[in-house]
Amino acid sequence: MTGVTVLLAVAAIGFGFSRRFQISVIPLLLFGGFAVSLLFEPEHNVELQRTMELGIVFLVFAAGIELNPRRFRRQRKAVIWVALIQFFAATGIGFLWSFSLGFEGKTALYIAFALSSSSTLVIVRILSHGRQISRPFGRLVVGVLLVQDILIILIIVVMSKAKFGLGEVVLSLLETAVLGVLAFGFQKWIVPRFTVRWILGSELLLLVILAQLFFFSFLADFFELPLVAGAFAAGYSLSRFPFNGIARPLLLSLTDFFLALFFTALGAFVGIPDDPTILIKGILLGLILLIVTPPVVTVIAEFFGLSSRNAVEAGILLAQGSEFALVLGLTGYLTLEDFGRDELSLIACMVTFTMILSPLLANDRTVRWLLRFHPKQSRSYPRVGHCDHVLVIGFGTGGMWVVKSLVSAGHKVLVIDDDPAIIDRLSQSQIPCLRGDGSDLEVLNQAGADKAKLIVSAMQRPSESETILKLGVKAPVLVRVFEEKDAKRIEKLGGIPILNSKASVQTFMDWFVKSGHATDRPEPPE
Amino acid sequence: MADLEFIETLGLMIFTGAIFALLAHKFRIPTIVGYLVAGIVLGAFSQSSESVEVISDIGIVLLLFLVGLELNVNMIRDLGKEVLKLASGQIVGTIVLGAGICLLLGFDGKSTLTVAAALIFSSTVVAVKSLTEKRETDAKHGRVAIGILLIQDFLAIVLLTVLAGLDQNTEFSLQKTLVNLLLVVLAVTVIFALSYYASRHLVQRLLTRAAAYPEMLFIWSLCWCFALVELAGFLKLSHEIGAFVAGFSISQMPFAHELSRRVSPVMHFSIAVFFISLGVGLDLALPLQAWIAVAVLSVVILFGKFAIVTFAAVGLRLDKRTSCFSGLLLNQISEFSLIFVALAQKKGLIDETTFSIVGLVGLVTISISSWGIQHKEKLYLNARRNRWLKRFASLQTASPPPETPALDQHVIVVGMNTLGATIAQKLLDRGETVLAVDTNPYRLVPLNCHKLMGNAENQTILEEARLRHAKLLVSALHIEDTNELLAWRCQRLGIPCAIHAVVVEEAADLLELDVSYLMIPKVDGIKLQTRKLGELGFLEP
Repeated sequence: MTGVTVLLAVAAIGFGFSRRFQISVIPLLLFGGFAVSLLFEPEHNVELQRTMELGIVFLVFAAGIELNPRRFRRQRKAVIWVALIQFFAATGIGFLWSFSLGFEGKTALYIAFALSSSSTLVIVRILSHGRQISRPFGRLVVGVLLVQDILIILIIVVMSKAKFGLGEVVLSLLETAVLGVLAFGFQKWIVPRFTVRWILGSELLLLVILAQLFFFSFLADFFELPLVAGAFAAGYSLSRFPFNGIARPLLLSLTDFFLALFFTALGAFVGIPDDPTILIKGILLGLILLIVTPPVVTVIAEFFGLSSRNAVEAGILLAQGSEFALVLGLTGYLTLEDFGRDELSLIACMVTFTMILSPLLANDRTVRWLLRFHPKQSRSYPRVGHCDHVLVIGFGTGGMWVVKSLVSAGHKVLVIDDDPAIIDRLSQSQIPCLRGDGSDLEVLNQAGADKAKLIVSAMQRPSESETILKLGVKAPVLVRVFEEKDAKRIEKLGGIPILNSKASVQTFMDWFVKSGHATDRPEPPE
Repeated sequence: MADLEFIETLGLMIFTGAIFALLAHKFRIPTIVGYLVAGIVLGAFSQSSESVEVISDIGIVLLLFLVGLELNVNMIRDLGKEVLKLASGQIVGTIVLGAGICLLLGFDGKSTLTVAAALIFSSTVVAVKSLTEKRETDAKHGRVAIGILLIQDFLAIVLLTVLAGLDQNTEFSLQKTLVNLLLVVLAVTVIFALSYYASRHLVQRLLTRAAAYPEMLFIWSLCWCFALVELAGFLKLSHEIGAFVAGFSISQMPFAHELSRRVSPVMHFSIAVFFISLGVGLDLALPLQAWIAVAVLSVVILFGKFAIVTFAAVGLRLDKRTSCFSGLLLNQISEFSLIFVALAQKKGLIDETTFSIVGLVGLVTISISSWGIQHKEKLYLNARRNRWLKRFASLQTASPPPETPALDQHVIVVGMNTLGATIAQKLLDRGETVLAVDTNPYRLVPLNCHKLMGNAENQTILEEARLRHAKLLVSALHIEDTNELLAWRCQRLGIPCAIHAVVVEEAADLLELDVSYLMIPKVDGIKLQTRKLGELGFLEP
């Protein structure tokens, strides 16, 4: 029990620091684990190792449950291409780098594959926190993460059988396919039947879900596949709506508990590397990931219709190591003779470094700075000489309606948007437009913001409208916001907030009364 | 890394446990019985459960943490002397009856005392679970039963502590026992004092800060729990008392209920492993004499405990229905009894056969008692008609008090962002009954309505919110998955719902789920924007 207590105490400190400094908690747990390694002999601590085993199973199971292809069905093509190209680009560069440093073939391959996936846990949390997970950009990123997860599971299966020859590898892939088909069958026919027919309480439902997890783990064991393949298949079998939604809250605490213990135990297991060059190599590997991923993702994502800004953001977010890289590293440690603690430490260092840096870099300032190097953004626009016009920043939902109303009322309108598809549509409709980032000072100057008679901003985040407000333009600036606190901030900066949520409240209340749901009472005085 | 024996054993336990728990559910028997039977089946194939001991230990710790966390001091105060007298009567009555029967059955001194002490406890899990399922926790018989169970829990802690303080194969000597008890009292005082001081000056402050972040609150609370478990171990007390004190020290905080909901799944998982392990340890190859002991003790518990509680309650002038229902809720032995005898066996106070006898008595009484609880109304009516029980019916008692009305025809508003909070306020202004739900307690503070802290994805939260009885559910959340899940649950129950569509593309999916009203702020905002443009003179008003 003492082992669990120590791991929990370290995890609690990690969570505290994570909240205080707004850093992802996983690298902090790994750091904490490094410190714990000074107290324990990880090789001989059974409690630590069992915690890790259970942690891996829950980690992979939780990732499988999120594998709902319905989420990114509108961007399937983009998701697959971005994921595949990023995956192979990172692997290729990682392999060349590892090989040049003298790592033997298979070890170099392990290190390279560790570089190829990004952290689902961290990125989904960042997207949810920024309320971007439902936006097209968020859906694309989540889709890419899920494809990466599938690929890395297949890689783990292949690598664990590589030493037995090609025949074994092919056989194991076929067995994995059987597992996948079975999971699909469960997802399609068995799980829905159970959930609809049997009304179970939380405790029993949890137990049935866990039984399903262990059933697939047994199957994986029967086929002599790694346990993670079974856990992932079990997760996939529950990934369909609404069963994923039913399972998620039940598993939330279990996953939180075992993941906190797992990452801390893993840090303790890996320990502080004796050789300081391992640390440097890990950081260098992380730098490669940070340099290679953003341009690769940006180019492909833009090609498939994402705006430059969102493509750059997606690139930065995906430029980080994954928890699956750690699982892969552990598999290498267990299956390869020349894959030792140092190689595992190298991967852990890379993951820790990128997981800390990537979320810190994923902010407006970095995105704007990177957009300067974008070939389309750096193109200098001639100053068109707009004057006395209405500037609409961000076309978005309802943009066309606002623009048409203003045009039919006889106003000159100029629209700024960073989405090439929108710009094309506007050009076809003969509406003056400018492609660019509405929060970029240069773009605003080119659009003659200082001479506009009215500015309507409908950018996704209220913070993006702050540039225009800080410009000190004389024209009234209308900014669309959702939260009261954002409205207050916009008002303080001299803008006129349009509180969308307030508008929704009014329409909801009208419906509430008209639909007959309201209790028959007189209207309160305004 | 260790081999996969651990995961294999755990997996087999959970898998078998799930099958038997489902069967138990089918026959309306508590899941505990299913777990024990699963363990017995696994035990027949000599499945060792040693490798999952840590998980079992975590289960017991978390069960006690939850008991502490859910302990409502006000409730005990409200029930006052009645429950205290009833509990005392039940404890003394059961121990005298149990000890007498054990001596008649030929148990030795140590075993008699241990078994009689184990028989005192009734199952909190069985009683509370059935009360929650039938929404009777606030009914008078529910409060009486919970009150008695809480007092039993206190006693269980004391007895477990005394037992944990004994050395292996300790002989009963009065002097040694008194010294042990004194040391225990001292250690308990130290742990209570330390936890009180730490919780008032540090832990409560830290947890209040963490309350807005459920994940952090969960890990920090568990850390507090396990820290006290270690402290208890250091003071030579049982881990259980540390966990109980940790839960109790934060039980009066506003987030205690949500925390207990968060801890429950981990507890359910690990306590299932604990009970299955207990089943593995049960030996069915008992001599005939032991089977007779199982039968006699089971009958004594089922009828004796029922009679003691019911007649004591009637004697205290509680109404007959409350008395009878309280008796039916408590006529079984508890998971504590099994923990208690497991510990006693470890300490060498009883042998394996006695342990198996108590385990089987648990199995029988929990199964039959659960059936009794399910059919308590019918049993009560039959009892009133029975000639033999007419004397009971003729006793003068108080009439049952009216039950407090529960939430009905209310509007549930999920997500206290600007949209949710404003809707909740507007509905309140209209005189509607509103229940606000959010994971962040601070967002609920400004509203003067019914409040529920928790994750709306969780089925138990919606049960607590009485979704079935609501007239409308409104979700203002920004989380697409949760919104869709809420819409699906409302569709299944036929409850109208108004859902926030974060992006317009989501609207089609939500409409497929029969959402009554879609809130699309981006579209609704256009009206407001047009009005503003009109005011500024850019558009015709």
